[in-house]
Amino acid sequence: MEGKGKGRSYLLKYEGLEELFWRLKENYRLIAPKLKGGVILYSEVESLGELPFGYRNVEMPGFYRLDRAEGFFTYTHPVNSLKAFLHPSELTLMKVKISDGGLEFEVCYPEGNFCFFDVRACDLFALEVLDRVFVHKNSHPDSYYRKLREGAFVVAVNCTYATSNCFCTTTGTGPEAREGYDLLITELREGFLLEAGSERGGVLLESLENKREAREEHLLQKRERLREAEALMERHFEIEGLPDRLYGRMDSQHWKHIEKRCLACTSCTQSCPTCFCFDILEKNNLELRESERVRVWDSCFSPAFATVHRYNIRQSVHSRYRQWLMHKFAYWVDQFDLSGCVGCGRCITWCPVGIDIRQEVKTVIREG
Amino acid sequence: MLVCGSPYNLKEGLVVRLIRECENVYTFHIATEESAQPGQYNMLYAFGMGEAPITIASKGEGYIVHTVRAVGDVTRHIDQLKEGDRLYWRGPYGNIWELEKAFGRTLLLISGGLGLAATRWVFEEALRSPVRRLLHLYGSKDYENLLYPYLYEDWSSKAEFHIILGRSHPHWKGRVGLITELIEELELEEDTVVFTCGPDPMVKACVKLLERKGIHPENIYASLERHMKCSVGTCGHCMIGPYFVCKDGPIFRYDLIREYFEREEV
Repeated sequence: MEGKGKGRSYLLKYEGLEELFWRLKENYRLIAPKLKGGVILYSEVESLGELPFGYRNVEMPGFYRLDRAEGFFTYTHPVNSLKAFLHPSELTLMKVKISDGGLEFEVCYPEGNFCFFDVRACDLFALEVLDRVFVHKNSHPDSYYRKLREGAFVVAVNCTYATSNCFCTTTGTGPEAREGYDLLITELREGFLLEAGSERGGVLLESLENKREAREEHLLQKRERLREAEALMERHFEIEGLPDRLYGRMDSQHWKHIEKRCLACTSCTQSCPTCFCFDILEKNNLELRESERVRVWDSCFSPAFATVHRYNIRQSVHSRYRQWLMHKFAYWVDQFDLSGCVGCGRCITWCPVGIDIRQEVKTVIREG
Repeated sequence: MLVCGSPYNLKEGLVVRLIRECENVYTFHIATEESAQPGQYNMLYAFGMGEAPITIASKGEGYIVHTVRAVGDVTRHIDQLKEGDRLYWRGPYGNIWELEKAFGRTLLLISGGLGLAATRWVFEEALRSPVRRLLHLYGSKDYENLLYPYLYEDWSSKAEFHIILGRSHPHWKGRVGLITELIEELELEEDTVVFTCGPDPMVKACVKLLERKGIHPENIYASLERHMKCSVGTCGHCMIGPYFVCKDGPIFRYDLIREYFEREEV
């Protein structure tokens, strides 16, 4: 059966999936969801069995729990995102040494060679967003991000479930993985439907032994399963034209209402798969002969983020929240030709006071 | 994807001349053949301290000029450099003053405090350009903090260069007051082009007055100062509305930035 991607589509049993996993493992560092400390986290994995098959993440504003469920890819996206691997929370950019009368610089490049296994539509879209921020829409492409991203093999998985915090149907980013993957898995009743999204994905798929050709009914089943996930999500607001509506609401009284709840803790920006802001720190040795220039995640909620002459331009917490939300949904579109929100709902789950960005957007554009 | 050079690679140059401007402010002439244009800035690096965005104050044969006020850790470190020391930097970054806009018209420069470092080079270029009338107003908080006093005689002989101080001084025979008082007295054509750099409140007050005098914000350009870490539009610190000051600026046409610049805490 010809899939919509490159080449034929196949149906795999668990053995086929394992074969695929080992084939990828030969050539890549495999990053996949894994149970860790009571949550599902993207981690480096050694075997397919390490994936949290049969677990289900239940998420609500400020709430996260794992349940059991029937099946394999029964969860949604992990707590962390691929940002943790492509734009690490701490990355040494260069080492600087004092030498005879001058300085010596050694640029440090991190090792990539990743295969991201089990990437959901929201995180796939986040990859596209980060690609634009660091490389495609940047006149000084970031060589560090490039090095980590270069050649990364992406195995996407279609979501057949959504948590109450998921809103990818609102942002138009899911639940179906549409592009940016090499292979796409959809879990069906009788196995796993595999479709190729790239030349190399197609070649790998063809080379697998444990597979059989998919039929029309399997592609229909895929549609059904995606509809199951879609049915769990409501449309919260119209994304089309949202930037213009938000630009008209910068003086809304509602921002101040958010300040009564927001702790400016930076949880939202840390958990967001697209928030890219960073600081560059100097890590010096005690002899002051060597110094490392280290890039670390920063947040527009930090008290010193927009400091000019020792004064942060955004003193109030509501101005920081406004900066974050306006950036995500409005400024981002002007800067990178796409929205910065992928509808994953991480910021809602990990906000300690359960601020729901969907609700805040709705209220800001409604009440003015 | 091809791996290219790190955007954080630093260049090296010798401090060939050092001028003490006033307390905590030094001007450095750095030997380099790098190209740059008026309005742009460099990220100056201090070992173990970090980087600071500093405007390129001028350029001569084989050197660039930076004026640095020691206000933070990085700038305090840089201000300790002596002639013959090496300075490390990356750049140039940012956009340029659109001087051609003022050809055949009146060009008014308004500089406040250290903002003069950002307008000095374009002023020097304007002196050699077909600008019909060239005015430069410079406000300094006091006599002790005047920048580039060794250039005033030359500037005054070639253009209408006026200084106003925030407070009087026994050696000062000129004007004392606010820079807006100088603007108030000017007779300006409606198509006058304005370049300004100074503290945010000064810029806002000047624009308000200029508009009252019939000058359209489309013809007013302001060089802004914001917190910067990367200078290449990636770290997010310098954002003002949808703009990254580091790469979309530092110079903005006022009508485009007003919405964000004048609103509180944007």
